[in-house]
Amino acid sequence: MIVLKTNFGDITLQLDYEKAPVTAKNFEQYVRDGFYNGLIFHRVISNFMIQGGGFSAGMTPQQTRDPIKNEANNGLSNVTGTIAMARTMDPHSASAQFFINVKDNGFLDHTAETMEGWGYAVFGKVVEGMDVVEKIKNVPTTMASGHQDVPVDDVVIESAEIIEEDSAN
Amino acid sequence: MTTLFISDLHLEEARPDIIKAFFNFLNNQARNTDALYILGDFFEAWIGDDENTPLQLSVKKELKSLSESGTQIFIMHGNRDFLIGQQFCDETGCTLLDDPTVITLYGKDVILMHGDSLCTRDTEYMKFRQNMRNQEWQTMFLKRSLPERQLVAQQLRTISQAKNKGKALEIMDVTPEEVVATLSQHKASLLIHGHTHRPAIHQLQVDTKPATRVVLGDWDTHAWYLKSEPTGELELLNYPLGE
Repeated sequence: MIVLKTNFGDITLQLDYEKAPVTAKNFEQYVRDGFYNGLIFHRVISNFMIQGGGFSAGMTPQQTRDPIKNEANNGLSNVTGTIAMARTMDPHSASAQFFINVKDNGFLDHTAETMEGWGYAVFGKVVEGMDVVEKIKNVPTTMASGHQDVPVDDVVIESAEIIEEDSAN
Repeated sequence: MTTLFISDLHLEEARPDIIKAFFNFLNNQARNTDALYILGDFFEAWIGDDENTPLQLSVKKELKSLSESGTQIFIMHGNRDFLIGQQFCDETGCTLLDDPTVITLYGKDVILMHGDSLCTRDTEYMKFRQNMRNQEWQTMFLKRSLPERQLVAQQLRTISQAKNKGKALEIMDVTPEEVVATLSQHKASLLIHGHTHRPAIHQLQVDTKPATRVVLGDWDTHAWYLKSEPTGELELLNYPLGE
């Protein structure tokens, strides 16, 4: 499991290595590299999702690794509390940015292997700390550096860490 | 995963190039999208759902084909086609929207309008608008025979053309204060409208917060549409009609 330690509290994530192997491993690698440490949630929409992992405080974009293939066709749905990869209009453009759904957003799910239908790849879920997510989703937002819905006060991922699971189970 | 917005196509038999471009648009850009919003002045004129000209019949058929393929279609009245009714919607699978309507688009409230009601400085037109939108007048008008309605529509068009000739262009644009008041009243940060034929994305301040006003383009030399994605991207796009 992975813990995002934010200035609002801890969010514990369980990744689905079985259904989203490429995406889960990609996310884990960014965590291992310390990539997310000090980055912010830069797009917060209270009845949609909270998105982060792409900018440091002050909206400075970060250099990422190459984009990964889109695994949205894995049957997982963008329901409340799931984590999925953010991307541009190009379906296979996700790198490091992710979002946590704060509402059932089924319209983001995969419907067809086309530009329009690829959807957004869910690769895990919040298992602890949904109260923290709830707090973050309600922060006041503004426009900053040409981006909309940026929290007025930084929501910072102070660190992202891997917690080893009990291997006996 | 995409929502599209168009307005001011002013479809009429005299412009087969626009009709052709629109059908191409339905079968390409609009295919497989979540929703298509048509924000008024879709037709150059509309005197009742029972007219059924060849143009109207072919437009209905194409809209029905898109709605049956799974794209939701919403239509709002403009100042030229405000008599589009439930029968048209039933025949095409469209949903008629009030002006204004507030929708939730990827988590955010968005105000949709045709835009003529924002042009409050054109007092003469505002009075005319009020008369035309009067329910009693509409009911009476629709009860008249088709040839009678066609004649009245022709007369109204002639009057309108004569009147607009001398009008200063800025009078026919929206009143900025009205835009701010509308956004403030609905506590929304995005307003999308057409009508003025001045396509642009404007950034403004409402109650000390940033807001955006998107003006859709009219289809004359170019096809115009607004594309909205879950990523938050908002693109006002256009291409020459022949393409």
